[in-house]
Amino acid sequence: MKNFKNYLLIGLLGMGFILTSCGDDDEVPAEENDPEVITDVTLVFTNTMDASDVVRASAQDPDDLGVQELMILDEITLTSGATYTLTFEILNALDPADVEDVGEEILDEDDEHQIFFSFTDGAFTSPMGDGNFDNPADPINYEDEDSMAQDGSGNPVGLETTWTAGNTLTDGFFTARLKHQPDQKTATSDIDVGEDDFNLMFVLNIE
Amino acid sequence: MQTGFVRKLFKIKLKFTFMLIALVAAGRLFAQTDCEKKLTGKVLDINTEEPLPFATVKVVGSEYGVVSDSEGNFILTNICADEVDLEAQFLGYKKATHHHDFYKSDNVEMSHTFYLSPEENVLESIVVEGDKIVGDMQSMSVAKIGRSKLETEITGSLASALRNIQGVTFTSAGSNVQLPVIHGLYGNRILIINNGVKHGFQNWGTDHAPEIDISSADNISVLKGAAGVRYGPEALGGVVLVEGNPLKLSQKMYGSVTSGYQTNGRGYHANAQLGEGRKNFSYHFGGNYVKIGDRDARDYALTNTGMEERSANLGFRYHLPKWDFEVYYSYVDQELGLLRQSVAETGELFARYVAAPQPDSLFFRDFSYEIDEPKQNTTHHLAKLEIEWHTDIGDFILLLSQQVNLRKEFDVRRSAELPIIDLQLNTTDTRLEWYHPSLGGLQGTVGLQYFSQNNDNNPGTNTTAFIPNYNTDRVSIYAIENIQTGKNTYEFGLRLDHEFNSARGRERNQNIFTNEFSFTNFTASLGLVRDLSAKWQLRSNLGSAWRTPNMAELYSFGQHGFKVEYGLWRYYANEDGEFRTDRVLTEDDNAGKPERGYKLINELDYLEGERRFTVTAYANYIDNFIFDRPLAVIGFLWGPAPAYIFDQSDALFTGVDLTYSNAITKRVIGTFGASYIWSRNLERSEPLINQPPITVNAELSWETPSFLGLDFSKLTLLTSYTFQQFQAPRTITADQLISGEVEINASSEIFDFKDVPDAYFLGNVRWEWRSGRLGGQFEVRNILNTSYRDYLNEMRLFADDLGRNFLFTLNYKF
Repeated sequence: MKNFKNYLLIGLLGMGFILTSCGDDDEVPAEENDPEVITDVTLVFTNTMDASDVVRASAQDPDDLGVQELMILDEITLTSGATYTLTFEILNALDPADVEDVGEEILDEDDEHQIFFSFTDGAFTSPMGDGNFDNPADPINYEDEDSMAQDGSGNPVGLETTWTAGNTLTDGFFTARLKHQPDQKTATSDIDVGEDDFNLMFVLNIE
Repeated sequence: MQTGFVRKLFKIKLKFTFMLIALVAAGRLFAQTDCEKKLTGKVLDINTEEPLPFATVKVVGSEYGVVSDSEGNFILTNICADEVDLEAQFLGYKKATHHHDFYKSDNVEMSHTFYLSPEENVLESIVVEGDKIVGDMQSMSVAKIGRSKLETEITGSLASALRNIQGVTFTSAGSNVQLPVIHGLYGNRILIINNGVKHGFQNWGTDHAPEIDISSADNISVLKGAAGVRYGPEALGGVVLVEGNPLKLSQKMYGSVTSGYQTNGRGYHANAQLGEGRKNFSYHFGGNYVKIGDRDARDYALTNTGMEERSANLGFRYHLPKWDFEVYYSYVDQELGLLRQSVAETGELFARYVAAPQPDSLFFRDFSYEIDEPKQNTTHHLAKLEIEWHTDIGDFILLLSQQVNLRKEFDVRRSAELPIIDLQLNTTDTRLEWYHPSLGGLQGTVGLQYFSQNNDNNPGTNTTAFIPNYNTDRVSIYAIENIQTGKNTYEFGLRLDHEFNSARGRERNQNIFTNEFSFTNFTASLGLVRDLSAKWQLRSNLGSAWRTPNMAELYSFGQHGFKVEYGLWRYYANEDGEFRTDRVLTEDDNAGKPERGYKLINELDYLEGERRFTVTAYANYIDNFIFDRPLAVIGFLWGPAPAYIFDQSDALFTGVDLTYSNAITKRVIGTFGASYIWSRNLERSEPLINQPPITVNAELSWETPSFLGLDFSKLTLLTSYTFQQFQAPRTITADQLISGEVEINASSEIFDFKDVPDAYFLGNVRWEWRSGRLGGQFEVRNILNTSYRDYLNEMRLFADDLGRNFLFTLNYKF
């Protein structure tokens, strides 16, 4: 019995030391694909009468969640009376060697996304007013609709819109705001529904 | 062979002594072998607590016994055996037995109180083993909460159960996530020792509470000094010791069933415990279930503040002469809802939520037990094996433990069904301790510890890991000794730790970063206990403690909850004083240094009959104190968002705790308490953030005369007044930052997003009763239905704290 106890003690001490021999690993966290990380957005205004007349305005967040502020790189300068089609280039350029086109992801989930607009009141002859931030029914010339349309008339997405510039204007503003509204997007869902994917305010000039 | 082995072992032990502390002490290595052992105690009536004179107390299996005197006191002397079963008898009362091991008490005269139960009483007689010394830190301020107090808090958190101790409060992220705060320090500056093992959990931020089910605890003690020597690094602020069932031998089968309901949150709970102690073994198991739905503030519902908890624990002790084997396992599974309002996707929404007097009606829903995002799901397993060997050359204790902590946190976000944080933390804690016998009057403990943690991110969060994978390995060696001379007991301790860390993480662009670093550190403690007179006692302790910055404090990066957070090694200021986050720092940069704390704590204690007065004064200086603070509102593509950083600075915490209690009449006891803390960031001469405000409280308890045939009935009125924090940082709202009205840079003074809440008064009333095996409790918390916000509750930014709550508990013991 006493011998047994001695062996037991030795055994248990041994166990302690086995536990002590550390089992370090060098496992690295798995690569995670943050969905729709957006670092660069470019608004592309193309004159409907003259495809060579293109106005580009970009915004960039150089470090995504880093502390560096969002940079609005350009002002938007349109020609009075001209009509433009507005499209977007939306990129994830966190890894310069592997720039992703996030626009495609948004297109794939167009039933969850909508771009809303707000601008200096009366800056455009079409659409009139100051945009649809305050009221989603206010006029915006959406040229696309989402793919989930039940009866052939889907809800607008905003990846393509048309704009006719009004009278000359300096230091006005033009804001494009992409909302993500999963399971919430309807004909009446407004700016307060869902979360922002981007919310960019540019200076708007009309010459 | 037998003697050879013992001699060899003895040699090893001797070597051990020299190696560890170089204690040169010839002399009484073999202590008290003979028949000199002594036991003292008291025999009382369990109901009235009146002494029972002329009760018989004898050693079972022998002829030896004594009779208690007129005060119920007895003294048993000249006991030879190392362990005895005591039996107390009194005519008309049920007898009580108690197993006592002398070698466990290590020369200390143990006092026992036998509470005998009358024959007609359904309750069994019980025995309470006298004042056990908590740890070895006698010179430190210790407060203890017993089982009966814990039973009144059964659905609460560990932290909320401690709130009535002066100098102790809690910081929280709503009603479900609460962490203890001792003298202004919380998180990983408070060591939580659960059943002898350091609780291994995601101990960072104010939103990670220890996963400990207090219904499994027998008692909880709080050490308010820097007890780093005894319990390891990180104990800068103090230690919370959670003790499980003591697994006593020679106990008839006992058990209890408890159930209750609370109106606020329509919560209910059920708890069952069962145990038995035989001659050479003892076991205990228990289970607990709690479910609470959306709770209410005075004026509105707090959406998504429900919780659900399941827990179980079991313990088994096997006893041989001179040997004790104990196995313990506990399991806790929690799903904790966080206030829906607390997650704002953008800075503008954040600004709106913070400014709003009450949560947005957008979030209101009908009462529900549903727990949606934001929420936390955690599971914690603890397994422990403890072996005690009692020899002539002291007691040896080997402790092996393993913990697995699983944590998933869910935010309101895109792919909300995926956790944004998904971590597994494995902790191994192995300890070998030698409680040596008196060596020339010197008594104490020498220990070796190996502590290891392995943290891994589970894949599938669709978010870059918020903290890295890491391994921490620490080897420690320590000694705590005390020596008694006349009225003074001196205490001193030394500890040496060597810690190795390896971290592996990813940047947002998925590039891998790795780092390996190590620290070696000395910790020391010096203490004095002095009996000034029969009534006055002075305790004084000067202790140091240290800790390496937590991995979250070093490496946090990303958005979680309403914050974008940057760890100490994830940001820096460039030559122009602008913040940058484009590289991961290392120990070579001037950041992320270990914290070192020096705490002096003095306590003066007066005790005379029912009158007790305690005053505790302390000062704690911390080098490189790490804290989380608002940095700015930063513009991101999706809009502005509030950003926080971990910052580091030299800080001082000093304050006073006061308690006075006295019997006003035989049945009425009054207690008054107050705590005051002053703290400052010395390096930058500015206030710290989230420090506890001054509080005073008063309690009146009345043990009512017997009525309705109740054996026991007690009514307690508890009141507290919390002052407005006068040392808070200035306020800058998110709106002011978004609009550019106020600009912030690296050298700007600290600020907070919201004004400190107003002072408030809270009142609780509690009635406890017992009739035979059946007992119960009825309590009203926040009886005046005060609407208030607690400065240390992060949710104060968004909503009021809980309104009135009626709690009913019924308990059956056998």
